[in-house]
Order: sequence, then C-alpha cells, then structure tokens
Amino acid sequence: MNETTRRLFLQQAGGAAALALMPALAGRTLVLDEPLQVAVVGAGRQGRAILAELQKIEGLAVAAICDSDASRLESGARRAPGARPFADHRELLAESGGLAAVIVATPTHRHREVAEDALAAGRHVYCEAPLAATIADCQAIVAAAARSGRVCQAGLTGRSNPIYKLAHSFLRSGAIREVVALRAQNHRKTSWRTPAADPAREREVNWRLDPEVSIGLAGECGTHQFDVAHWFHGKYPRRVRGTGAIRMHQDGRELADTVQCTLSFEDGVELIYDATLANSFEGQYEQVAGTMGTIKLCGTAGWLFKEADAVTQGWEVYANRQQFHNEEGITLIADATKLAAQGKLKEGIGLPHPPLYYALEDFVKSVAAGAPLACQAAEGLRAAAVGILADQAVRSGATVEIDPSLFEED
Amino acid sequence: MIVRRALFAMGTRFEIALAGEGERALGDVAEAALAEIGEWDRRLSVFRQDSLLAHVNRTAGARPVRLDEDTFGLLRACLAVHRASGGAFDVTIGPAMRALGFHDAAAPACPGAAGAFFIGSDGLLRDEEEHSVRFARPGMALDLGAIGKGHALDLAERVVRQANGAVQAALLHGGTSTIKAIGRPPGKEGFDVAVRLPAPAGGAGPGRFARVTLADESLSVSGRFGRWLEQDGERLGHVIDPATARPITGGAALAAALSRSARESDAWSTALIALGRRPPALGPEVTSLIVPLDQAGAARAEESRAAGDRAAAFHCWESQ
Repeated sequence: MNETTRRLFLQQAGGAAALALMPALAGRTLVLDEPLQVAVVGAGRQGRAILAELQKIEGLAVAAICDSDASRLESGARRAPGARPFADHRELLAESGGLAAVIVATPTHRHREVAEDALAAGRHVYCEAPLAATIADCQAIVAAAARSGRVCQAGLTGRSNPIYKLAHSFLRSGAIREVVALRAQNHRKTSWRTPAADPAREREVNWRLDPEVSIGLAGECGTHQFDVAHWFHGKYPRRVRGTGAIRMHQDGRELADTVQCTLSFEDGVELIYDATLANSFEGQYEQVAGTMGTIKLCGTAGWLFKEADAVTQGWEVYANRQQFHNEEGITLIADATKLAAQGKLKEGIGLPHPPLYYALEDFVKSVAAGAPLACQAAEGLRAAAVGILADQAVRSGATVEIDPSLFEED
Repeated sequence: MIVRRALFAMGTRFEIALAGEGERALGDVAEAALAEIGEWDRRLSVFRQDSLLAHVNRTAGARPVRLDEDTFGLLRACLAVHRASGGAFDVTIGPAMRALGFHDAAAPACPGAAGAFFIGSDGLLRDEEEHSVRFARPGMALDLGAIGKGHALDLAERVVRQANGAVQAALLHGGTSTIKAIGRPPGKEGFDVAVRLPAPAGGAGPGRFARVTLADESLSVSGRFGRWLEQDGERLGHVIDPATARPITGGAALAAALSRSARESDAWSTALIALGRRPPALGPEVTSLIVPLDQAGAARAEESRAAGDRAAAFHCWESQ
C-alpha cells in the first residue's frame, strides 16, 4: 500500500466500529442467471439515454444496437461496449439469435415497422412513446403485440416512476378529494434541431420539424403528460382545442414552437396544457388540483400542497416540506415511513435514477419474470391518439372530437 | 459571423462562441455542443441523486459497475493523472468534500461521509474487459469536480468537429476556469486569452497577467480559493490534499495547465496547485505555469515559471 496515496480516515470514534461491521468484499460472489439480451434500435439522444440506463440494470446485456446513421451508431456504440452494431433492424433481428427483447427508439413515425418486425420475430418490445405518429400505426402495433403474445410495453415513464406511483396512491386514498382541474406544461429553450453531418440527411435527422411526419409539441411532448392526466384522473378526454404559433424560431419551420391545448374530460374537468421551445421557466410538470389539495409532479420530484381545511394525517408531522413563494409543499418521498424511522428522510428526496430507468427496469421484470406490464401498448395507443388529435387541433385551430371507442377495453 | 450560446451547468456558466457561415447552422451546432455539456452535468454531478456518479458511489462498494466508453475513459484519465502527480490529484476525495461541507444538503448520500471513509485512487479498481469499476473497500466515493468540466468540454468539441462545414473556429469555456479553442480565428495565430495572476500579500502593487494564444488546445487555471467556504472563522479552499483529507496548506498561489485535451488541462491545473511544482513524471505535452507562494503564504507572481512544450507561449506583463 502506498502510504501517501491510500489512507483511511476516521471522522469519529464510531467510525471504526462501523467499518468493522461492513461485509468483506472479497468473499462476496454475485450470482447471475444467463444475462438477458436486448437490442436498442435508434441511437439518437433518446436511444443513448436508454443505453445509459440499461447499463445499470444487472443481469442484462445490450447485445446489439442499430441506427441508419453511421455517426449516431458510433456514439451509441460508445454507450454499449460489446454490442454488435447494425444499420438495418431487419438484419439485426435475423442475426441476433439469443435476443430476448428489442427497445424501439427510432423517430416516432418509424416505430411501427420496427415494433411489428420485432414482435413477428418473437421478441418482446419496449416501444418509446408516443407509440406512433398516426392512430392507424398505433393500432397496428397494439394488434401485432396481441398476435405475438409477447410483452409490449409503451414507454410512458410516469407509470413506472416511484414518485408518480406514490402520488397516485395519495390521490386514490382521497388526499386531495375531488379533482377540479388539471394542468401540465413542457417549457424548454431549444430549437429542436440537430445538426446533420450530411446535408442530404438534414430533413430526416430533423424529423420533429417535418410537418409531414411530426406530431409536433402536443404529440411528441404532450403524449407523455396526457397519459399522466389519464392515469391520475382515471378518465379520458372527449375533445381538444388548441392554438399554436412560431414565437421564437423563425428559421423557416412550419410547426409551432409554442402551443396551448385544452382537453375536456368526460366529466367536464379540463386539462390546460402548454408547451414551448422558446422559454425554459419551470420546465416540465403535471399538476392535479383537488378540493382539498394539489399534487405537483416534475419527473424526479413531487409535492402535495394542502388546503387549509384538509385533514392532517399523522405522518405529516415528520414530513419534509419545501417553500414555494406563498405555498408550502410536502415532498413526496417513496418509502418515506421507513426512511423517517431511520432518520434518513432527507436522503429520500428525489429519485436515485432518471424516470426512464424505472420504466426499463419494469420492462425487464415483465420479460424476465412475468411481472405485470407497467404500461400496455393499448394505453400507449390512447395517450398517443390524444397527442395526435391535440396536434391536429393546434394545426387547425379547430375543436377536435375524440372518438370514445379509442378508449374501449378489448 | 459569430454565434454565442450559454448554459448553466456544473455549478457554473458554460459559453460557446462559434465563428463560421450560416446563423442557423452555427446555432444548431452550438446548441448540440451545449446539450452534450448538459448531459455530462446530469451524468457526473455530485449534487444529483439520479446522476451516473451517484449510482457509482452508491453501488461500486458492493459490486462492479459497468460504464460506457466515455465515462470509463474519463476514469482512466483520472488514474493516469493520479499516478503522474504522485497522488496529488485524486478523484476519490468524495467523502472529504462531503465532510468539509462542499456538497450541499440536497446532495445524495455519500458513502463514508458519516463514519469511516477512505481516500486513495489505488482503491478504484478497473476491469478493462468488462468496462467496469468497483471500490476496493466500503467508504469510498468519487468527486469529479476537478476534471468534469474539462471532460464535458472535450466531448462538446467532438460534437463541434463532427458537424464539419459550418464552423471555422470556436471558443468554449466552463466558468472561465477551463477554456478550449477549436481551430483559430481567420488570419490569426489563435485566440488570445489572459490569466489574471494573484496579487502579492495585501493586494498592493500592479496587476499581473499572463497572456497565451490558444489554437486547438485547452487552458485551465486553478486558484487555491477558486471555491471556498468558511468554517469556524477559517477559510477552506476547495483543493483537497488527498493525504490529509483537508484543504491544501502549501502548494502554489495559482497553477495553469495548457494541453490538447481540456480533461487533461483541468486535472493538471488542480494537481499542480496542490503540488506547487511541476512533477518529473509530467510529459512536455502538458505545459504548466505556476505562481509560487513565499514562506508567508503570499503569491510571488514575478517568479512565475512556465515549463513544457508550449512554455514560450506564456507572456507575463504588468498592468498600469
């Protein structure tokens, strides 16, 4: 041991004892079953984020990655050491024998072909949300999943997010009583453009701005947040109206960089949604206002704001609180009771992983151990359909009726 | 034309200025480069529960943690500077930073922070085949604060270089402690950058500066109190001596490192300020500028020494 570089520091008398109680690392063996082999198709920003989270899941190996763009494939490969690179997903499916599952992270309008091919080849599928860019494509994926009998999870991460699940259980237990209004926003300051190394691929790379294939802000961002509203309110909207404009990015684009939508639910409750690429204030959140309180959710954090006349629960005495101007929020902390008992409540604030991790972990549990699906393809269809119709409302400025048969259970 | 964009990340403000043709194309590249920096902020932050670094710190004491190539390469670079600096640069100082109060209360739990902890990069074990790392014993945690900004700038450079065509030259910096030049301005030798040298005791006398012209290279500067906090009336600097787990007491008044890679310049500026001298194992490809301290702890800017391949690039002068 090099004395100048390797030293043990004891901060307090108890430290030595604590160290002695730690299990010796050398004697520990990690027993893994055969690793579950998965492939990621699409190595853009989302594909790379997925690869980063998959690395953390034990007992899983990324066997192959696929992207039609060579530079994206290369940057994906850096995130998945040892994975076989492919330019075509059909080739990948044909040549990856031991593959259990395929994760679809291609541009939204390209989800269908990959998901259908993978399901037909007997692979389980995790398909990013929105499920597809047209309702017909979404329905085709749902049908392909049903035919295959394989797991097909829609990538709506709210359904797997521990903080959202906790908030949902609070709502179900009556913490905010009757829901009176829903609100959600997605504010970012970005052009939504990606530089294309090859000018010939400019349009393809910037598919989000291509009015022919993109479902705009309401579809691409709204879908995820509309699903949270569906889940929390336990209902689906009947109609949507919207407006949109180009407020900042005067770069020749046709799609709005700032949109507002109002979704009317079957019980008359409305969700007010706004999304912009011109301002980042308060980022992304979903909010459920009830007669006895409000729940606010922002991905890795969530709060409960109580009305003055709401009943005080025993656990609130120990709860962690945060001040927001005139409001005081109770921080939603997963396993709060357990942590409070250990005096570690503050350590539970925030999530140990990005929300995407939990959705992928749920998928792996469903594939490997038959756990119930966190989000069925049919639920992905419902959210995407609302997103697609909201985009139509934004583009036309008209009120769009939503066919309730979209939400019927099979 | 020149397009500028900025981003708050890693507790500082990153800025990028791109020179070239086409406002939209330049803007796209600038945004993509900053997005890369933002992503590494989320991955390497000690202040976020959900960062990759927090995951490594939570997990690597119990089992190996698989890493992507870029992060694995970063740790490899950390260990190389650790060795060449004789241990003065050490990313396993996480628990010491936590214990001293450099991580705020919202930072995720840090192994060893409350009890026994262990500092020493030789306890950071790599598996080259599996691309994984683990800690040799419990009570270890990484803090990449002395190299993360440089790493992010290097990867932002990769984004700029991949988008060939639009960009003629670029200048990127992270909170003015690390600056990277890509190419050079048309018709010029490079980008002129000035470093303010610390004033002698009492702050009296003329201001001293060192100027250097950067082209396709990075410059990092470390001061003893670049970040600091006060404890019991004592001012604690953010440069930690891995041997004592306390802020350095000797070292240099200021150290600058010039290198192709910002990762290297960032790490070496920290190593050099802790050492107070240029170690023999440091290759000539990293140029150093060191402002020594005198016996009383005052800066001796007039005795600044540059060494390395580009030593002649530094020009010191006094302001009026």
